[in-house]
Amino acid sequence: MSLNNILTNWSRYRKGAEEGGFHEYEHQWGMVVDLNKCIGCNACSVACYAENNLPVVGEARYAKSQFMSWMRIERYWDEPDLEPYQASPTANVDVWIETNPPAGKTALKPSMPGSYAEGLLEPGGQGFEERVGVFGTKGEMQDFGASFLPMMCQQCHAATCEPVCPVAATYHTPDGLNAQVYNRCIGSRYCSNNCPYRLRYFNFWSYYEDAWPEPLHMQLNPDLAVRDKGVMEKCTFCVQRIRVAKDEAKMENRKVRDGEFATACVQTCPTGALVFGDLQDPESRVSKLWRFHQVEQGKTKQNKQNKELRGYRILEGLNTDPSVMYLERVREV
Amino acid sequence: MSGNNVNRRDFLKILGWGGVGVAVAGCDRPTTVTLEEGKEEVVAYLQPEEYVIPGVGVWFASTCQQCPAGCGVHGRVREGRVLKMEGNPDSPINYGKLCQMGQAGLQGHYNPDRLKKPLLRKGGALTEVSWEEAMAQLDQKVGIASGLNGERFAWFTGTVSGHQSVLLSAHLASMGSKNHFVHEVINDAVVRAVNQDMLGEAAPRYLLDQAKVVLSFGADFVGAGASPVYFANSYAKFRTATPRGVLIQVEPKMTLTGGSADLWVAIRPGTEGVLALGIANYLTTNGVDASGLPESLRALISGYGPDKVSKITGVSADRVARIAALLKDRSPSLVLAGASAEGHAHGYQSVAAITLLNILLGNVGKTIVPSGASQFPQMEAKPGNTRDLLAFANAAEQKALDVVFFHGANPVYTAPAALGLAEKIKNIPFKVAFSCFPDETAMSADLVLPILSAHEDWGTHMGVYQPEQKSISIQQPLMEPIYPDSKGFGDLLLVMLKARKVTGFDGFEDYYAYLKSAFAALPASVKGDAVSDEDFWGKTLQKGIVKVATVGGSLSTKAIEINLPEFKEDSSRPYHLVPSARLGMWDGRHANLPWLQEAPDQISKVVWTSWVEVHPQTAAKLGVKEGDFIKVASEHGAVEAQVYIYKGVHPDVIAVPMGQGHEEYGRYAKGRGVNPLKVLAPATDAKTGELALYATRVTATHAGRRELLVKLMGNETQLGRKMVATVKAEVFNRTEGGKDVA
Ligand code: SF4
Ligand code: SF4
Ligand code: SF4
Repeated sequence: MSLNNILTNWSRYRKGAEEGGFHEYEHQWGMVVDLNKCIGCNACSVACYAENNLPVVGEARYAKSQFMSWMRIERYWDEPDLEPYQASPTANVDVWIETNPPAGKTALKPSMPGSYAEGLLEPGGQGFEERVGVFGTKGEMQDFGASFLPMMCQQCHAATCEPVCPVAATYHTPDGLNAQVYNRCIGSRYCSNNCPYRLRYFNFWSYYEDAWPEPLHMQLNPDLAVRDKGVMEKCTFCVQRIRVAKDEAKMENRKVRDGEFATACVQTCPTGALVFGDLQDPESRVSKLWRFHQVEQGKTKQNKQNKELRGYRILEGLNTDPSVMYLERVREV
Repeated sequence: MSGNNVNRRDFLKILGWGGVGVAVAGCDRPTTVTLEEGKEEVVAYLQPEEYVIPGVGVWFASTCQQCPAGCGVHGRVREGRVLKMEGNPDSPINYGKLCQMGQAGLQGHYNPDRLKKPLLRKGGALTEVSWEEAMAQLDQKVGIASGLNGERFAWFTGTVSGHQSVLLSAHLASMGSKNHFVHEVINDAVVRAVNQDMLGEAAPRYLLDQAKVVLSFGADFVGAGASPVYFANSYAKFRTATPRGVLIQVEPKMTLTGGSADLWVAIRPGTEGVLALGIANYLTTNGVDASGLPESLRALISGYGPDKVSKITGVSADRVARIAALLKDRSPSLVLAGASAEGHAHGYQSVAAITLLNILLGNVGKTIVPSGASQFPQMEAKPGNTRDLLAFANAAEQKALDVVFFHGANPVYTAPAALGLAEKIKNIPFKVAFSCFPDETAMSADLVLPILSAHEDWGTHMGVYQPEQKSISIQQPLMEPIYPDSKGFGDLLLVMLKARKVTGFDGFEDYYAYLKSAFAALPASVKGDAVSDEDFWGKTLQKGIVKVATVGGSLSTKAIEINLPEFKEDSSRPYHLVPSARLGMWDGRHANLPWLQEAPDQISKVVWTSWVEVHPQTAAKLGVKEGDFIKVASEHGAVEAQVYIYKGVHPDVIAVPMGQGHEEYGRYAKGRGVNPLKVLAPATDAKTGELALYATRVTATHAGRRELLVKLMGNETQLGRKMVATVKAEVFNRTEGGKDVA
C-alpha cells in the first residue's frame, strides 16, 4: 500500500472493522495458538532468532529490557479463571489493582506506600508477603504447572500502533499484516508505547556491531535486512516466507495452498500448538479453527453461540482486532 | 578391500551391519566392494552448480547432533552457506520439528570460538601445530611402534551410535582395549537397569498417547529427556485424546514437563519410592488385585499407609488418595520415573517401586510395550551414564591409563569437584581431545584435534530412543568446512584404523567412501525400490533416513524385592540440592550458543546466568528477596547465585540449574554463573553405581549481595487480565472431545 494511499485513506486506517475501517485484503494471514498443546519449550522463539536475524543483545542490555525476541514465551503462575480472583473487567491493570484488593486489604493506588500492589509491581519489593499470596496458586505450593503464553505481534487489523506513527512507517499491508518500513522509521517509538501487548522492539544500539562476531554473521538470512540503531522492529509473520510462497504461486498461476509454507515458529513447534494460514481462505486450517471456535474478526466482544468454546483473542476489548486466536489452556481440576 | 581375505561376515561387521541373522540372510550383495566404487570422488551435493544458485535456497537432509535423540534435520543452504535448520518430516523421531537446541546447532557450527588448528602441549602450554606434527605425535603414542596395547588405552565419549560407533569399537579392539567410557549427565541409566530387571527390556517404548493418566516422578520427557521432540509430539496427542490425558508431575523442583502438569506435586527429594508405595497401598486397599505380587511385596506395600507416607513425603494423604484414584479409574495409565527419582543412593529402589505401579495397574503391554532390537545392533546408540565417569576417575587415580581419547563429552566440566578429576587426569600421560571447541576437557588435554562441525561432517546416527519405526539417520555436510584445518571425526577414525593395520579398512580412501560402501552392502530389504547402489545412495542422501526392521522384543513382568531406607534429615545441612537440567543449556554443552543463553529458562525466565530457586517460605527464612545472592554450600564446595522465588519448588529444596559456570568454552560460556555439579557429594546409587545427582545436602545463607535478576517477566501474575485463559478438562471433552477440527 503506497504512502499516497495511506494518506488518502488515513481516517479509515485508524478505524477497526466495527467502524468500517479499511479492509480490502488479498490475504489475511492469521494464527492459532493452542495453549492446551503448548509446553512453553522456546523452540518457536529460537527459530525466530534464526530466521529473522534477531540480534543477541547480551545480559547487560537484556537487563534494561532491550532484547529483541519477536516471539517470546510469557509464563504466569496464576490462572485467574480457576482462582477466586476476580477477572479484570477492563484491560487497565492499574484500575483493576486499585479496585480489587485481596480480602482484608484496603484498595489503594499502586504507587501509594503501604498498598498491597506496591509489592506486586516491584518484584521482591515492599509488600512482598502479599505478593507471595497473590502469585501462583492460593496454597502454599504451586498446585499445577505454569501458564505459558507464546506472544508475537498479533497483526491487529485495527492496530493501535499504526495511527500514531508520524511518518507512517508502520502501516497495514493488503495481506492484512502490520508492517514496519525500516527505512521510513525515525525512531519516535510512539508505536511501541501504543502496542498494548508490548510486542515492538526498538534498536537502541547498532546490535550488528557485536551480535554476530565472525563467522556467526555467515548464518544471517539474506532474505531480510539487519536493522540498525534507531529503528523499530517486530514480528512480521515471516513476511519473506510469505513473499516466496506468493511468488511461487503466481509463477505457477495458482493460489497459495494452505500449509505449503509456514512461519519459522509454526514450522518448528514440536507439539503443533501453532497453526498459520490465510483467514480469507475458508478451507485453511486457521479458518476452520476460527469458525469452530466461533471467533470472528472485527469484534471487540465475541458473541459465541457456544460459550464453552475455547477460542479468544487477547485484549480484544481494546478494539485492536488481532489476527491471532488463542485456545484456552485446559486443566483437569 | 582388495587383497584382503575378509570373509563376508567380518565384512558386514566392519560396515556396521553385522551381528544379527537377518542382516546376513537378507543380503544379496557380493562380499567385496570394488575400489572403483570406493574412490567415487564427486558427490552431487558438492557440485557447486547444485547448491550455489544465487538467491535460491536448497534444503539438504542431515542429523541433529545437539543431544542424543538424533532428530532428522533439513538444512537450508544458500550460496554455499547453511542458514536455517528445520526438522526432517521423514524422521520417525521428530516428524519435521526441532527443539530450541536443534535450532541453535548453527551457532555451534559458526561459533566464533571454534578450534582452528591442532594444539599440542609443549612445555606446559597448548601450542598450535601442523596436522603433520599432530599426527606424528599421535602415531608415536598409539601407533603400532608405540607398543601400546591393552587396557591402558581408553576412549571417553558421549553417547555414540551409527558408523562412528562401529569404527570407534574397531579402533578400540585394534588397541586391544575394552575401555570405552560413555558419559552423559542427563541419562536414564537407573531406569534402564530397573526396566531390565522388572520388564525384561532396558528401554521399552512408552505410549504416552495411549495413556489416560501419566504420573511422572520427575521424568522431564518433553524437556531434558531421552527424546524431547518425539515426546512433545506424543504429549500433544495425549492432550487432545478423548478424554484428554491427565498429567500429574511429582518432583522436588518444577521441570519443563512439570510446567504443563494438571496437578503438580512437590515432594521431599528421595521419597519418591515411598510415595509410589503409598499409592500402591491405596490401590490394593481399594480393590486393585495384587495377588500376582510376592507375599513380601504385599507386606511391604501394606506397611505404607497414608499417614506414614504423608509424613515422609510431605504429600498430603488426600492428595495421595486423589492421585491413586485417578490412576485406578482411568486406565490405562503410565507411570514414569526420571532424574529426581533416580538420583539417590536408593535410586534403583525408588524406581523399582515406581515401576511396580505400572505392573499393578496393568500398564505393561498397554502403554509400555516391547521395543525389540534394531536389525543392525552395531548401529544402536550406546547410551551414556555417570557410572563410567566414576570408573574413569578411578582408573586415572590408579594410574591405570596411558592414553585416553575424548570425544563428545566434557568430563572435566561435568565431574563433581569431590572426584578430583582435574587432578587425577594429570596421571594420564597422553590425553587427546577430538573437539570443535576449547572446552574444559580439551584445554586440559595434551593434543587437541579440531574436528569438523556437525554441519560439515559425515556420519550416521541412531537416536537413543527409537519409536516403533526404527531408523538410521544420515549426517551429511551442509557446507564446506569453515576452517580447512579441521578434519572429520570418521576420517580420523579411519586413518587411525589404517595406522593400526586393521584388516578391511585400507580400501577406503576416506570416511565418505566407507559410508557409501556400507550402504551399498545393505540387504535388499532395506533398499526398497532403488534400482542400483548408486540410486539407493542418492535416495538415502536425499531422504536422510533409512528405515530398518525390528528384531524380537518382548516384555515379562517381574516384581523384585524393594528396600527403601529410612528417610533421614541432616540438621547441619538442612536443604537438598537439586542440580536441575533443562532443555536449552542441557548439561552445559550449549552454554557457548548465544541464542540459547538469551532464550529464557522456561520456568524462571532467567537469561544468561545461573540462579537459585527457592520457595517463598525458604526465602522468608533466609531473609532474601529476588536478586539477592545466596551461598549454597555442601561438604564439597559452595556456589553463589541470585535467588528466584516461586512456589514450584519444595521448601526443603535449593535448586540450581546445570549448564553455566564454565572455566573455558569460549566467550559466551566462560566465567558466567555457577556449576552445581561441582559441589555434589560423590554418593552413588547402591545398585547401579550411578552418581546420586540429587542426594547432596547443603546449607544456604544470604551472601550479602544483591543485583537485578535478569529475566524476561516483569509480572509473575496475570493481574486478572485474560492473558492465559483456562478451561476445565470436562468442558474441553464436551466441546472438542474426539473432534478433528482442522
Ligand atoms: S514451540 Fe510450540 S510448544 Fe514450544 S513454546 Fe513455542 S508454541 Fe509452545
Ligand atoms: S500486536 Fe502491537 S505491534 Fe502488533 S499490530 Fe497489534 S498493536 Fe501493533
Ligand atoms: S531433541 Fe535433540 S536431536 Fe532433536 S532437535 Fe532437539 S537437540 Fe536436536
